[in-house]
Amino acid sequence: MGHSKLVSLDDAVALVEDGMSITAGGFAHSHQPMGFFRTLMRTGRKDLTIMGVAECWVAEWLAAAGMLRRAYFSNFMFEGFGRCRRFSEGIENGMIEAEDHSHFGMVMRLAASGLGLPFMPMRSQAGTDIMNVAGFEHPAAKAQMFRSPFDGTVVSLVSPLKPDIAVIHAARADELGNVELYGTTSVIEEQVRAAAKVIVTVEEIVTTEEIRRNPQATLIPGMMVDKLVHLPFGAFPLGVYGYYEYDGAALADYYEASRTPEGTRVWLDTWVHGIATHWDYLDAHGASRLLALRTDPHLGYRYDIPEGVAR
Amino acid sequence: MSGTSRDALMAVAASREIRDGETAFIGTGLPMVAAYLAKATHAPGVNLVFESGIIDPAPLELASGVGDYRLAYGSTKIAGTFYALSLLQQGKIDIGFLGTAEIDAFGNLNSTVIGNYRRPKVRLPGSGGANDIASMAKRFVIIARADPKRFVEKLNYLTTPGFLTGPGAREAAGLPGSGPVKVITDLGILGFDPASKRMRLEETFPGISPAEVQSAIGFELVPYADTRAAVAPTEEQLDLLRTKIDPNGMYVKNLQASR
Repeated sequence: MGHSKLVSLDDAVALVEDGMSITAGGFAHSHQPMGFFRTLMRTGRKDLTIMGVAECWVAEWLAAAGMLRRAYFSNFMFEGFGRCRRFSEGIENGMIEAEDHSHFGMVMRLAASGLGLPFMPMRSQAGTDIMNVAGFEHPAAKAQMFRSPFDGTVVSLVSPLKPDIAVIHAARADELGNVELYGTTSVIEEQVRAAAKVIVTVEEIVTTEEIRRNPQATLIPGMMVDKLVHLPFGAFPLGVYGYYEYDGAALADYYEASRTPEGTRVWLDTWVHGIATHWDYLDAHGASRLLALRTDPHLGYRYDIPEGVAR
Repeated sequence: MSGTSRDALMAVAASREIRDGETAFIGTGLPMVAAYLAKATHAPGVNLVFESGIIDPAPLELASGVGDYRLAYGSTKIAGTFYALSLLQQGKIDIGFLGTAEIDAFGNLNSTVIGNYRRPKVRLPGSGGANDIASMAKRFVIIARADPKRFVEKLNYLTTPGFLTGPGAREAAGLPGSGPVKVITDLGILGFDPASKRMRLEETFPGISPAEVQSAIGFELVPYADTRAAVAPTEEQLDLLRTKIDPNGMYVKNLQASR
């Protein structure tokens, strides 16, 4: 038996230092580790780099808090809303430097690192400005064309990206950090393998016997995890498959506030700096609001009660 | 017919590009509607793959996006983004659909910046899976409203490859897919001249003249003698869109009024 990885949220957040590179799990409005990042935003860490694929809310909130310096990424936008405004305007006004990729390009750079390889061959990105126009990396340090020594096929090679820390939110884990996640798994496996350190927050802690009962459900084995935090509603106001839907009204609140720097400041003061703990944050929304987000176990999403029927 | 909503015309045209038995890579919006329409009509055996990692789902309701848990219902495999994208590279995806902020005559797309790359006037979301779909799906279709600000001679940034600089360029870059086949607009359907790989007008929607299409395109279309009227949507197709596929008008606007 190994040692428990369980730590407090504050202890896990303290691993992040100024200037570090971070990658975070999640896709669209699902399973991004928002509880972790709200807490990180209260620490005032700065000059962070994100190595991201689809963790749009993480990138946006770090940008809103002025903590983000550089972004290696493939696409940040809010499904159903639109642009990530603080992130996008951060690039427009020169506060954030961008290095663009396709989704597959980002995933392959993380995979190179995760597999211990000096590069990965791949067959997209070539011929476009993703390879031809420099961001903050020299184009030749990012990707190069290559002819296969075996059959002459033209491929591009991409260099590895090794984030200092991967932060993942998942469904449940045992104390050793054997992690289960249901539904789509975004880029979590590649991010976890690429990163130097891995922090996982989970909805539920279960026994190792429970994990051993169905090992096929384990997405990340404990050996890959450095710190584990028990954090129910740890993705809220985003959702977690099999647990709760995203809170559309809370997301819309942020999206409206983010239209201006002033609105964003007020939002940060209210919802980040003005709230001491994760539990206070949940209390500020209230039990009825959280419970109303619960998903139907069969459907995997919330069954919408028809209008006019009392809850 | 002239009252049919533009969104419905585009969705029906897109659905016609999908053949039975194919595997299609689908994103949020009209492509989702088009794929379900194809599946409910001429292509019941189409297999759908989404970049979020959802494969062959059987959703009970239209999803608000590829990350919506509604979309995962009934899927035959659920995985991650790497798995879904690697299917493109392996050559398992027959067709993909893309939208865009800018498009040039070769079908190259920009979804990255307006203005200078490092200090842009407008920062857009970035490639996402678009470059991967365009590079590696066997063929792809672009869905974009005709507008001279969107259909431009020179892109601000080339995010996603159409035919790049013209004949032979995709092959030189090692891109395994054969490139764009159609550009479905709200005025008609564009294709590509086989010799020059530049865009030409192939079909017009009801009440639209070729001159009107050209005036909404910011570059010269290659002359084409066989431009014809687009096949009209059938009552069955419109009825399916209205009653089953997008009854709340999430992606197909003004459908309820269209006859």
